[in-house]
Amino acid sequence: MELRGRQLVPGRAAGQAVVMDALSFYGDVDPHTGRTPDGRSVASRVIVARRPRGSTVGSYVIYALKANGAAPAAIVMSRVDPIIVAGCVLAGIPLVDSIPEDQLSKVRDGDLVELDGSGVVRVRRAAP
Amino acid sequence: MYLTAEEERVLRGEEGEARAKALEVIVKVGEALGAERLQPIVHAHVSGVSYNNIGEPGRKFIEDLANMGARFSVPTTVNPIGFDLEAPEAFDLISADREVLEGQRAIVSALHRMGASLTLTCTPYYIPSVRGLRPGQSVAWGESNAVVYANSVLGLRTNREGGPVALMAAIAGRTYYYGMHVPEFRRPRAAYRLEAPGGYRLDYARAAVLGRVLVRLHRGEGPPLLDASVDRETFKELGAAVGAEGDIAMVFVPGLTPEEPPSRFEEVVTIDYRDVEAELESMRLDDVDLVYVGCPHASAEEVEALARELSRLKPKGNRPQLLITTSRDEERRISPEAMAVLREYGAVVLRDTCLIVSKLRREGLRVATYSYKAMFYLSRHGLRVGLESMEELARRLGSEA
Repeated sequence: MELRGRQLVPGRAAGQAVVMDALSFYGDVDPHTGRTPDGRSVASRVIVARRPRGSTVGSYVIYALKANGAAPAAIVMSRVDPIIVAGCVLAGIPLVDSIPEDQLSKVRDGDLVELDGSGVVRVRRAAP
Repeated sequence: MYLTAEEERVLRGEEGEARAKALEVIVKVGEALGAERLQPIVHAHVSGVSYNNIGEPGRKFIEDLANMGARFSVPTTVNPIGFDLEAPEAFDLISADREVLEGQRAIVSALHRMGASLTLTCTPYYIPSVRGLRPGQSVAWGESNAVVYANSVLGLRTNREGGPVALMAAIAGRTYYYGMHVPEFRRPRAAYRLEAPGGYRLDYARAAVLGRVLVRLHRGEGPPLLDASVDRETFKELGAAVGAEGDIAMVFVPGLTPEEPPSRFEEVVTIDYRDVEAELESMRLDDVDLVYVGCPHASAEEVEALARELSRLKPKGNRPQLLITTSRDEERRISPEAMAVLREYGAVVLRDTCLIVSKLRREGLRVATYSYKAMFYLSRHGLRVGLESMEELARRLGSEA
């Protein structure tokens, strides 16, 4: 499957998908371990989330994840906000937005996600 | 992006390395968002200053800027931290170990060196100098609840700036011209009308739940318009709920928002007050250990109202603890009579403190509050949190004579 969005923060990346709905880095991701409240890790994975929410501290959490070696490889969303953009700019994490929600919702946890750096996101189902 | 000659000069480092770096970040974020130019600002409010939240990486980030010689070029206020700076041991449920105390003091000192006013509050909108800003002026505020209040009640223009962006904007004196700074993005296209019987009063708790309902309903572009009789004070809890639950930076409330509302909408949605009541009812807890008021920081008027409720009752022998968080300025405005009532109930009043970013000593603590924002974040920290009105909170603490 190939999704087309807008490359907001440049960079190529690949990793397993961690799928979320609404994402606030503050509260939803531990800045030390990169773990979500339900125990998944975002470290070196590609976060695939529908929309942002919540705290403006999120930018620092993204920055801290990078400093702590637990940053995601990339972030792919339908909608972003300046909080996430700023965190990704500071931490140098590739960011793609504007993926239509009906397409984004087809991505499953653990799928292999690859950003080619031009806003194109390739998704392959992981071998069972 | 179009840059003025002055901005080009700053970027070349002619006003120092720190200002150049700050402006560079603002330009990069702006370019990513498609902003065509920069926007001068008159004030900044910096969030993300709690050591518990941002840790060593955040401390280093802020200290490096201060050491580089960065200075804020507009009046700048800062968010609360995880304890009362003058009395870190004032509340036995909050722990601040030596590492946290030291890290936090270093952050606060770096912000002070850069020229911040150490307000340590999430309600900059209560500060008299901020209230003196004029509708239509642009600011760069972090702190989601304050952003919603600024746009909706004060008519100031700000996006939900990430903590480090507000910091960089404060140094650069500019942010990117995008979103809430652009008049057409401030125009509501969808209206939400609260249908309720006459006399239905939107108190703090109901306003908070209404905020949550609004975020779930609102999908479209532009800020939602809310047709409901909410006042400045109770709007605070509505805005805080909106800021926590969603990514909305403004709620247009006719009568409260200084801008002219449009006469036509693409969509008009009715919210039944019974849905608000049902949701509130589902958020109650039976027994609690702590009654918490002050998320966002309590105003003096709010504390006076609570004290009035409590003065009509007698403290129960076996009652939950009462915690109030507020700013130093607001605390000074609380009357001695109200403070006497609070003392009778053994209330702990903390300045500088945000319970959400504090390190709490007890897992599974049961809390009652009228702040949906507190409920949203504290329940993510392993606490059990219930929502109810100020009157109900008072009755947990005292009984009729």
